[in-house]
Amino acid sequence: MNQTIVSYLSELFAVNFSPWVVILIFFVAVFVVVNVMALIGGLATYAERKISADLQMRIGPNRVGPYGLLQFLADGVKMITKEDTIPRDADKFIFALAPLLCLLGVLATLAVLPFSSGLTLTDLNIGIFYLLGVSSLVGVGIFLGGYASNSKWAMLGGMRGAAQIISYEIPVTITILSIVLISGSLSLNQVVERQGAFPNGWLLFHNPFSFIGFFIYFIGALAETNRAPFDLPEAESELVSGYHTEYSGMRFAFFALAEYIEVFVVCAVATAFFLGGYKIPFNYGAGTLLGQALQVAMFFAKTFALYYVVIWIRWTLPRLRVDHLMTICWKYLTPIALFNLVGIAMWVWLFNGRSLYMIIKQALVISGK
Amino acid sequence: MFLNVVFSLSALLTVSGALMVVVTRNLIHSCVFLLMSLLGIVGLYVTLNADFVAATQLVVYVGGVIVLMLFAVMLTGGNNTKEVLSRFGFESLPLMGNVKTYFWGILSAITMMSVAGNLIYRVAQSSLASVLEQYKSSVDEIGTKLLTDHVLSFEISSILLLGALVGAAIIARPLGSKQLNEEK
Repeated sequence: MNQTIVSYLSELFAVNFSPWVVILIFFVAVFVVVNVMALIGGLATYAERKISADLQMRIGPNRVGPYGLLQFLADGVKMITKEDTIPRDADKFIFALAPLLCLLGVLATLAVLPFSSGLTLTDLNIGIFYLLGVSSLVGVGIFLGGYASNSKWAMLGGMRGAAQIISYEIPVTITILSIVLISGSLSLNQVVERQGAFPNGWLLFHNPFSFIGFFIYFIGALAETNRAPFDLPEAESELVSGYHTEYSGMRFAFFALAEYIEVFVVCAVATAFFLGGYKIPFNYGAGTLLGQALQVAMFFAKTFALYYVVIWIRWTLPRLRVDHLMTICWKYLTPIALFNLVGIAMWVWLFNGRSLYMIIKQALVISGK
Repeated sequence: MFLNVVFSLSALLTVSGALMVVVTRNLIHSCVFLLMSLLGIVGLYVTLNADFVAATQLVVYVGGVIVLMLFAVMLTGGNNTKEVLSRFGFESLPLMGNVKTYFWGILSAITMMSVAGNLIYRVAQSSLASVLEQYKSSVDEIGTKLLTDHVLSFEISSILLLGALVGAAIIARPLGSKQLNEEK
C-alpha cells in the first residue's frame, strides 16, 4: 500500500511507524481532508451567493455572523431540521442510495488530489485513471436519483444528466490523455513535479496544443459538474430543479454538497495539470513544514481562483439548449481534443518533449543574443 | 492485516451483490446490486496488487456498462414487476423450453461445474497463503507488453472498436430525403 502522507511524516521525523500507528495517522488525515472539503463545499455556497450578489449589484447574505459568513451553517441546520419526505410511489431503496452514490464518487476523488508534495493521501501510480473512474459514480447517482423520484421533472433531469456526463467525459479524457503524453506519468504528483513554479514552466504554456487543451478541459469539466451554462439537468426554468426535485432536507444537501465539492475537485485537477499545481518559486522552504504549508497555500490559491471563474461564468452566461449542448460536445470539443492529442504527440516526438519557452530560449542562445 | 480486512470486505460485497442480483425481482435494483458486486471486484483486484486492472474495472464497468444497462432497462420498461407476474395469472413463470433445451442446459451446467470444481479443488490443494510481492505498479509493464508482445491483438481490438463506432454512426445518421421516399 502507498500512503504518501504517512511516508512523508516518517521521513520528516525519521521514525518508522508501526502498522497500527500508520492506520491511525492515515485515518486522521482522511478525516481532516474530508471535513475540510465539506467545509469548503459549505463555504462555496456562501461564496456563490455573495459573488452572484456582487455581479448583480445586490448585497447578498449579511445577517449571520460577520459579513454573513456563517450563513452556510444556518442553512445546514435548516436542512437537518427539515422534514425528510419520500414520495409514496418512489423507489425507496434507490431514492435513499442516489445521494450517497453522488457523495461517494466525489469524496473518493479526494484520495489522489496533490495538495502538496507531502499532503497527498495516496500518490497512486494510476491516480488520473482512478480519478476518472470514481468520478463516473456521480453520473450513476444523478441518473438513479432522477429515476427513483418517479417524477417527470426528475426523470428528464436525470436522463439529461447521464447523457451529458457520459458525453463530456470523452473530450475531457482525451485532453487528460494528451497531458499524460507530455508528462509521461499517470500519477498526479509526478505531473505536478514535471512543471515549474513560474508560468513558463506550466503545462498550460508548454505548447499551443496544451493551451487549447486547457480550455477544452475546463469547458468539459463545467459540463461534467452540471454547472451553468451547462446546468441542464437542473434547469429551474423548465424542470423545476431537475433530478433533485423530490429531494428535501439532508438528502438534497448531499446532492448540493457533492456538486460544490466536485467543482473544487475539477478546479484542483485543472490546477495540477495545467497551472503548475503546488510548485513554489525557487522551491522555497523545501523539506520543512513551512514549505509544505506554502505549497498547500499555493495550491488552494490557484484552485480558488479557478473556482471564482466557475462561479463568474455561472452568473454571466445564459443556459444552453439541449441540442446545442450535444453539438458543442460532439462536433466541436471532441474533434478539437483529438486534433490536440495528435498535435501534442507530434510535438513531443519532434522537440523531444521540450516546451515552447525552452525552444525559443535555445534559439536565442544559439543566435547569440 | 489491512489487506485481509480489505479482501474480506470486498469478497463479501462481491458475493452478496451477485446473490442479490439474482434474488431481487426489480430489474433496476438488480442493476444497482450488480454495481455493488463490480465495486467489490475492484477491491479484489486492489488486494492482488493489480492497480491498473482495478482502475480499468472502475472506468469500464461502473462508468460505462452499468449506465448503459440502466438506460436499457429503463427505456424498455423493465421495472414493471406487477405486469410480468400477473400476465398469465401465475405468481411464477411457467416452465420454458422442452426436453432438448433441458438436456443441453443440464449438460452444459455439469460441464461448467466440473471445470469450476476442478479449478477450485486445485486452488484449495495448493497453499495460497503465500506472501504477496511488494506493491509495484503494473502500468509500465502493461503498456510495454501491449505495444510489443501483444501489438497484434491491440491493433485488432482497435479495428473492432472503429467498426463499432462506424456502425453506430450509420445507424444514428439522419435519413436523407431519397431514403425517406424509398421507405414510403
